[in-house]
Amino acid sequence: MKLNIYRFDPERGDPPRMQAYEVQPEAGDKKLLDLLMRLRVQDDSLSFRRSCREGVCGSDAMNINGRNGLACLTSLDGLKEPIVLRPLPGFPVIRDLIVDMTQFFAHYHSIKPWLINDAPLPERERLQSPTERERLDGLYECILCACCSAFCPSYWWNPDKFIGPSGLLQAYRFIADSRDTASAERLDFLDDVYRLYRCRTIMNCTEVCPKGLSPSHAIERIRLALLRRSS
Amino acid sequence: MDRHSRRSPVFLNLAQIRFPVGAIASIAHRVAGVLLFIALPVIALTLDVSLRTEAGFASVRDLLSSPFWLMAGSVLLWALVHHVLAGVRHLLMDVGVGSGLKQARTSARLVLVGAPALTLLFLAWGLS
Repeated sequence: MKLNIYRFDPERGDPPRMQAYEVQPEAGDKKLLDLLMRLRVQDDSLSFRRSCREGVCGSDAMNINGRNGLACLTSLDGLKEPIVLRPLPGFPVIRDLIVDMTQFFAHYHSIKPWLINDAPLPERERLQSPTERERLDGLYECILCACCSAFCPSYWWNPDKFIGPSGLLQAYRFIADSRDTASAERLDFLDDVYRLYRCRTIMNCTEVCPKGLSPSHAIERIRLALLRRSS
Repeated sequence: MDRHSRRSPVFLNLAQIRFPVGAIASIAHRVAGVLLFIALPVIALTLDVSLRTEAGFASVRDLLSSPFWLMAGSVLLWALVHHVLAGVRHLLMDVGVGSGLKQARTSARLVLVGAPALTLLFLAWGLS
């Protein structure tokens, strides 16, 4: 199979370039990541992140033929050749397909991604009803791969101020949690022209989420919660 | 971040990104908005001239019958129709109507096809 891969070596100082590769998949190679691992045997200077190889760790997010996705979840079948691989759009490139996610994680950190509940700890765990637990479905599964934020035009233009679809989905995950008592403070924090309202409902996030989640839906819920609160 | 921000390239070549239909409807919405905004003073002026006197009306009518201005007028008409359709789509989505991915894709396609179709319809109606 033919591939065309974005290469950048910070030590050489040359501008990024595209490099053509050809590699033969072997029996059992089903996903793009399988092919990349084979390619690494050919060229060990090629750099990309990967870990779990099954869509759980979220490290092998990249731009595949113009769309963001996880290499480990992208089937080789149906991929147009040459397969063009580039780093996540809008993120500073460290080397080849590896991007700097510092800012992305700073946004994640800013929404306080942990349960806030100052009530005395119960003797055992804080219980939820099945309905309350169901509200977290479609939210807790986010693996922070950044496919969505790196495909969001609003995030491209304001990566420093807009929290981005991933961070906002995570924010709603805690607002929706019946055990969390800081919803009001969380909403106060989000009620900002940049943090939340840069979202223009383009829905690129939902289009590319490799876990099939809908950050745009979570953002809609946050906006409605703010609206309900103000009326 | 400082460690490598000095020389870090960023890949953001929009021509090399495959945009979903919703993104195309969205950027067209913005382009249409900018066009309308820029054209607004000219439109207002033209309307003013056409309403002032009979001769003014005739001169505007003659102007608009030239191919260039007819083309420019058609583009603006498309911009208006697209902007209204896409705007209503967004208003509905803001209150949760059609905000699922499938419905949003369908409505984006409808806006992208509907705007030129309605423009042609209005043109045919106006020119007949």
